[in-house]
Amino acid sequence: MTESDGPSRVIPVAKPALVASRTSDAREIAARRWIAEHGDILWKFALARTRSKEAAEEIVQETVLAAMQGFETFSGGSTERTWLLGIAAHKIADHFRRVRRAKSPRSPAISPDATCVCATCRGMFTEKGMWACVASKWPDNSQSEAETAEQAEALRACIDKLPPGQSEAVWLRDILGIPAAEVCKAMGLTDTNLWSRMHRARVALRSCLENKFGLRKEKGQ
Amino acid sequence: MIRFVRDMMRVLGMRCREHVVLFSRQLDAPLSPGEAFGLRVHIVYCGGCRRFREHLRHLQSLGQTLALQAEIEPGLPEDVRERLHARVVQATNKN
Repeated sequence: MTESDGPSRVIPVAKPALVASRTSDAREIAARRWIAEHGDILWKFALARTRSKEAAEEIVQETVLAAMQGFETFSGGSTERTWLLGIAAHKIADHFRRVRRAKSPRSPAISPDATCVCATCRGMFTEKGMWACVASKWPDNSQSEAETAEQAEALRACIDKLPPGQSEAVWLRDILGIPAAEVCKAMGLTDTNLWSRMHRARVALRSCLENKFGLRKEKGQ
Repeated sequence: MIRFVRDMMRVLGMRCREHVVLFSRQLDAPLSPGEAFGLRVHIVYCGGCRRFREHLRHLQSLGQTLALQAEIEPGLPEDVRERLHARVVQATNKN
């Protein structure tokens, strides 16, 4: 059809097979572009989370195939990269659900109650909502690269212990630094869902690191 | 001005259990000026909340270290890229 055909001409309806073929082509072109433009970040994200090349490859593959399936659902509300990272986050969460189910109960997630930083209290706060105890100061890592690397590794291990869904949100938000609004869109969360998920995760990470740094300050000492 | 004072007084009247939620939310969304000021005043006299905020900042800085570590990792290996392309073609043909 050309521009000279004019508005009054009846537009022929494309045959379904032809439409399907065009859509498939568009999907394949898009998938190739995603691999070229975002393959590296998806791979690094999946590898950083799983630390297994096999698992990372599976996750990146599942992500691209799922994105091809949901090609039309990309609304443009977030960037294409965030949309893909959001899909990858779901795939990673699924991966860890499978792994935990297979290993259970050997690798328990951090308990939501394990937020106390003292030996003598039963939670972070008293019944009145005040601090049960003041946590200790963490070792300064600004002077030593080795110390920083060690602490970062401790954080990575703690993130691994978070429930699936929380750890992916932490990676997208606090590690990769993706804006909260985009993480919400990518993970299908409301603002308040994300805030509460991030808060629970950060409190659990703080408690986990407090234990790892071995600086528990017990009451009465 | 009225809203500023109202928000500040609300935050100052909160328990520490609620303050920590605000400290965390502040990392994801801006608080109102009154809320932010209320928190700043609160930590002047609350050691527990001051330490909590310090720990959150420490977590954020360790997160940046992890991000840098992930950044210098090599990207998608060539063999994985090729298998991925093959899988895409296979999925396209199937449809």
